[in-house]
Amino acid sequence: MLELLKIEWLKMKKYIAFILLSSFYAIGVVVLNYIVYVIKTQVVDKVQGSQLLFSGSPFDFDMVWKTVSYYSSFFLMLPALLLVILMTNEYSFKTHRQNIIDGWSRLQFLKVKLWLAVLFALASTIVVIITALVFGFASGSSFAVNGIENIAYFLLKAITYNMVAILVCILTKRSGVAIAVFFIYTILENGISFLLFFLAMQIKKDSGTDVGNLGNYLPMNASDGLLTSPFEKFSDMAAQFLPTNYNWLVLAFALGYIVLFYTWSKRKFSNTDL
Amino acid sequence: MPVLSIDNLSKNYNQVRALNNVSFSVPAKTVFGILGPNGSGKTTLLGIVMDILKASGGSYKWEGDQLPNERRKTIGTLLETPNFYHYLNAEDNLVIAAKIKGRGEDDIERVLKLVNLYERRRSKFSTFSLGMKQRLAIASALLGDPDVLVFDEPTNGLDPAGIAEIRDLIRELNRQGKTIIMASHILDEVEKVCTHVAIIQKGVLKTIGSVAEVMNTSGSSTVTAVVEIEVAAADMAGLKNILPGLAGVQSSNEAEGIIKLTCDESVTAEQVNRFCFEKGIVLNRLSVKRKSLETRFLEITGKQSDK
Repeated sequence: MLELLKIEWLKMKKYIAFILLSSFYAIGVVVLNYIVYVIKTQVVDKVQGSQLLFSGSPFDFDMVWKTVSYYSSFFLMLPALLLVILMTNEYSFKTHRQNIIDGWSRLQFLKVKLWLAVLFALASTIVVIITALVFGFASGSSFAVNGIENIAYFLLKAITYNMVAILVCILTKRSGVAIAVFFIYTILENGISFLLFFLAMQIKKDSGTDVGNLGNYLPMNASDGLLTSPFEKFSDMAAQFLPTNYNWLVLAFALGYIVLFYTWSKRKFSNTDL
Repeated sequence: MPVLSIDNLSKNYNQVRALNNVSFSVPAKTVFGILGPNGSGKTTLLGIVMDILKASGGSYKWEGDQLPNERRKTIGTLLETPNFYHYLNAEDNLVIAAKIKGRGEDDIERVLKLVNLYERRRSKFSTFSLGMKQRLAIASALLGDPDVLVFDEPTNGLDPAGIAEIRDLIRELNRQGKTIIMASHILDEVEKVCTHVAIIQKGVLKTIGSVAEVMNTSGSSTVTAVVEIEVAAADMAGLKNILPGLAGVQSSNEAEGIIKLTCDESVTAEQVNRFCFEKGIVLNRLSVKRKSLETRFLEITGKQSDK
């Protein structure tokens, strides 16, 4: 697999979109967290009574893991978009055919792309870890690992986004269509997820059954739901009305979807005309 | 042992039957032409044996015990269009192809020189002309000196000099003992370089054999034409008068001052020349057109192009 990944590296190391989008991602993560940091310290903290809602600094260890993971996840569209571009390039240049003609098996071609999806997720996560460490130490707190599970949730979310990206490419084969489908689906799923959230609240109110946040059982929202805002005092206050976040269930859904996307991509790519 | 055996291969695209139970084998060390009109199923056939299309029925087998993808690494293939990364230069593209084939990069210089692209090795693929793209694809197919080459319309987009070079290259590769499978709709191309030919039309295999065999087998019973002889003389009226007396002439027609005779295979130029001279007519033109593959092709596939 390492040999195959080295070939993938040759394909992208001189590709301008790869250089640009990875830079945008890294810069975006740092800048957004810095903006949140500035707003919190320079604006929110200076409002009287704000301590009631926001106690402690979200950039102190151990909250920093959660804060940085949550805000950085807004940029996860970028590595996914990059994957869509790299994958649909293969289709438009017909190099996916050529790679197989030259001696890769169909499964090798697909697996190296899925590994790439995982590696992109890992690289995105490393950027987040470094950012969290820098902000954590810069805010003057001492190192702590509490809350570091948020980094794992971030990784899971990144893998989910990237797997969806690959699947969308295999199903649509065209770059414009793939990008459109990816974004429209993401927006649509968020909308549905929001409605399901209210439905869950209604069920809890009417029958007293707590089914959990139904919205978090959808593919992209499952990994989303595990990463929650660091400013959750509002939610704490409203907890009695809200459906519970069954983290274990959401985690199971998130992992299940990854398996589903893998199987679906594999079946589709192995059995169709390329 | 044939290099490639194809057994009852079929391919359907929705309602269209692109290949219909095609079976044949490609003998080793031949230049094997797959000839057919546009849309006859040539590329579909090659796509299936390279595993980028899935057959609806039948099977194929490459010689050897390797896994199919390992076998493909030892086959140089150019299928339909040159497929490369547009944003990379010629050399970088060949590095990727070489790595996939599991070959070293030391062969890249040789193949680039062979197709006259060495000077342009650092130019991006997107800046190449159609002919240069085609030559790069041929270079890529030649990487690692494979023993089998598959070329789909190899002279597509090339200028006349480029076409001649590629034909020479194919003949040379065959002399070195390589097997070349070549799809083409250009009859002249197949006739000039192939030793064997399979003619397919609308997905059906019409005929197969060595080029000599295919040309000599008579086609449908209504067509028995075998040799065409063109004659002309200063005294055209006299010539026209005597020609019906020549043995073996099936028909004749005159156009643009030349009489075209369709004769039995046994008729030779010498006979025609002697016959006319003895009758007092001196020819100023006498040429024998061997029955071409084109004639055979049209006999086999019919004169209408496929709709």
